[in-house]
Amino acid sequence: MLYMSFQNIDKILMSLVGLLLLIGLITLASASQQNIILMGTQIINILIGMVLLILLSHIDSKRFLFYAPYLYILSLILLLLVAFFGFQSHGAKRWINLLFFNLQPSEIIKITIPLMLAWLYHRFQNDISYKTHMMALFILAIPCVMILKQPDLGTAILILISGWVIIVLAGLSLRVMIFGGFGLLLTLPYLWSMLHLYQQNRILSLIDPTRDPLGTGYHSIQSMIAIGSGGFLGKGWSYGGQTQLSFLPETSTDFIFSVYGEEFGFIGIIGIFIIYFFTLYRCIYMAQKMHNTFSRLITASLVITLFVSTFVNIAMVSGVIPVVGAPLPFISYGGTSMVVSLAMIGIIMSLHSHKSLIAN
Amino acid sequence: MDQHKFKYIFTHRLNFFFALLIFIFLILLIKIFYLQIIKFENYSTLAKNNSLKILPIPPIRGQILDVNGKILAENKLVYTLEINPKDRPNLNKIKERLTSIVKITKYDLKKYNKNYTERSYSSTLPIKSNLTEIQAAKFIANKYKYPDIYLKHKFSRFYPKGKSGAHFIGYLNRINQKDIEKLKIIDRIESYLGTDHIGKTGIEYFYEDRLHGRPGYKKIEVDVQNNVVRTLDIVEPIHGEDITLNIDYKIQKVAEKAFGEYKGAMVALDPNNGAVLAYVSQPSFDSNLFINGIDEVNWRRLNDSVHKPLINRVVSGIYPPGSTLKPFVALAALENNIRRPPFSIIDKGFYNMPNQSKTFKDWKKGGHGEVDLIKAIAVSCDTFFYGLGVELGIPKLNIVLRRFGFGEKTNIDMPNEKRGLIASDEWKKIKYKKKWYQGETAITAIGQGYTQTTPIQLALATAKLINSNNDLRPRLLKESNTSSHMKSKKIALTSSDDIDLIKKGMSLVTKEGGTAAFIGRSSSYNVSAKTGTAQVFSLKKGEVYDESKLPDELKDHALFIAFAPSENPKLVIAIVVENGGHGGSTAGPIAKKVFDAYLNGIN
Repeated sequence: MLYMSFQNIDKILMSLVGLLLLIGLITLASASQQNIILMGTQIINILIGMVLLILLSHIDSKRFLFYAPYLYILSLILLLLVAFFGFQSHGAKRWINLLFFNLQPSEIIKITIPLMLAWLYHRFQNDISYKTHMMALFILAIPCVMILKQPDLGTAILILISGWVIIVLAGLSLRVMIFGGFGLLLTLPYLWSMLHLYQQNRILSLIDPTRDPLGTGYHSIQSMIAIGSGGFLGKGWSYGGQTQLSFLPETSTDFIFSVYGEEFGFIGIIGIFIIYFFTLYRCIYMAQKMHNTFSRLITASLVITLFVSTFVNIAMVSGVIPVVGAPLPFISYGGTSMVVSLAMIGIIMSLHSHKSLIAN
Repeated sequence: MDQHKFKYIFTHRLNFFFALLIFIFLILLIKIFYLQIIKFENYSTLAKNNSLKILPIPPIRGQILDVNGKILAENKLVYTLEINPKDRPNLNKIKERLTSIVKITKYDLKKYNKNYTERSYSSTLPIKSNLTEIQAAKFIANKYKYPDIYLKHKFSRFYPKGKSGAHFIGYLNRINQKDIEKLKIIDRIESYLGTDHIGKTGIEYFYEDRLHGRPGYKKIEVDVQNNVVRTLDIVEPIHGEDITLNIDYKIQKVAEKAFGEYKGAMVALDPNNGAVLAYVSQPSFDSNLFINGIDEVNWRRLNDSVHKPLINRVVSGIYPPGSTLKPFVALAALENNIRRPPFSIIDKGFYNMPNQSKTFKDWKKGGHGEVDLIKAIAVSCDTFFYGLGVELGIPKLNIVLRRFGFGEKTNIDMPNEKRGLIASDEWKKIKYKKKWYQGETAITAIGQGYTQTTPIQLALATAKLINSNNDLRPRLLKESNTSSHMKSKKIALTSSDDIDLIKKGMSLVTKEGGTAAFIGRSSSYNVSAKTGTAQVFSLKKGEVYDESKLPDELKDHALFIAFAPSENPKLVIAIVVENGGHGGSTAGPIAKKVFDAYLNGIN
């Protein structure tokens, strides 16, 4: 039985992800100053994510192909439900209350969009033309606009990237990409006017950080002091003075990487980067090995989305880009991010182990 | 595209993405190398004494003024003693140590604990507020004994008028966790660094953005003992704007006094531009209680009171309009060309439903005799309107009611506005899964039944009778420029002849024979009005309404809408007096006093 349930788990990828989860828990223990409740909740988050990962890795990739359009439509319906019946929290409508937990459909769509687009290109794989790409863009645009209206700019952009990766990998010609780029430039003023005021402000302060010297600027400075003062070897676990004296904000969630950097130093960061490199390499390798359009496109899209999130977070805490508020996958405290990231890994594993099951 | 080419493109492009991601990896690694290796010394010293501190300088909140510049909300300089909860203070010890300077009461400690559990945003929390200047001076002289206690002087909000106007002015309260999360979403959290308070209701809430301003900051260098070595940079805060309201406090006061002990709401509008001149919701409360976190006793007293003083009745109180709906029902009839004068009926005091045995009574036993539409408004003839309603039908009536803003928010600049309700066939089907009876049409036409309105809706609808501008909207804020002259979209379809007939009926309400004739007898100007009475509970069959036998809370609500002078209206008033009995007798005199004050001036 046990053998059955783990046979689809890719051992290499699982070990790498496991290492990241472990590093996350160790850092969280220090960042939260050994807060038992926080640690317990995070462990439960991981367990839920792992159960989902194992379940998904078990599902035959044919099923993913079959259900992709239904899942897409279902997630659109969920988004619609959010718009009409979703409860408002902090001024944005993003959640539906499902009795025992709160569902955030914009997170689910991070998975269903790649599935749907891959399904589209798989279906028309012998006849991919500009019409197919137009359809793909349309499929992508609907949920993006809906999420933008919630409003949740960050997620909308991330979904746009994950979809765009698929369209590019499916062979959208370079010429069209360049023209499309120009076209997008022309519609920018219109898109700008569609954004909420706070979204406009956020983008403006990305361009000009001095707009916001007290808040994000201050966080940025404190985060760089934390990482910089870690030096080559780091200050040691739970000895990060910046963290422990709470100069750093949001140490458990968005700024957990600065805690890691302060306590484990440059050595530690090289270590985690090596794990990231092999994780990325393994996923790309798995994608290249897959035998059908559908699996390849999904895997590539999911892994690139995961790593874009990772880079945005690290770039933010190390002061390369201003603070935008994005969790670090597998490391940051938080249920949704953890469960969705592990589910993505589960899907990749399923597609890999069932690679021969879909005829080319 | 064939499979080979596809695979080729995919492989190459994926490799390209892979290379791109590796490239970003390297950039990040270089940046971290720069921070941790090249700049290590620099950051290490920074971290050791964390010498760079940025202190926010909070902005001063704008004042709220009435139209003549009278202050409704201001800032008073107060001294507070504060402690940092991160020091894990022993409250009893602190209390003892401070006895020579100021007495810390149980009540102070309770308040501290409440603020502490609500996890207020600021780093220090007050242990004692409102110190006298002598106490503050004493503390400063002995400061060396209290390194862990901080004397802060700051501006505290003060409402000089206390209970008066509390509902529209609103109040501030300490920022709590919920506010913080909300501020994060709208991306204004940074504006509140160094600020402890935020507007929770009324104007203080609605115009929070303008009143609050933006903090400045001070970059300072501190030594290991946390003493300021030097100031590196100061950016001055942008203080909050003062806000001038349309409210005329003189009129407001007259209105509040006229209300006396009655519960209810009153709003007075300038029909030409929607300016709100007076805004009463009774009973009221003292806003000053809320500023530093209301204590439990007062909170219970206000929140659990059966009289609901915290409800802002002008926008959140919903009441059946009673007969004040009749002018609008009459207008709907005229627009559909039914019952246009000289059409009249003979009212014998009751109305029989066509083809049914059901009978509806007029409020006046024996009826009003010959009644046309104008007289029906003047004497509030129910019989006339029962028949009118049945003939007109609900859909045609609702078209007109919607146009006058019933069932919709007026979009006044006040939070928590309710929509009220226009009942219809479809609405009833959804809500009660029952079909609509024709009898309900009859009672809807006299403003009973399911229809519900807010006082502000009644006022706006009345103003729209005078100024048929579709964009008319009640405003508390006085517009600083002339941009308020919006392009007027006239209400479609309403002919001014029809409106004149309605106005004629309303002007007769205050003349001999009308339902509020006493107003006309004693006024130097002409008032047009409509009285209304709304049942709080339904009488059982055969029961007779006898006001003197009923407990207060079951007495009818008195309603009143009016404008004056009739020829060239300058003021529109809508009043609801809860359990006030008949509209003319309790609500009317209040309106009269306000009209007198506004039109004749106050002595």
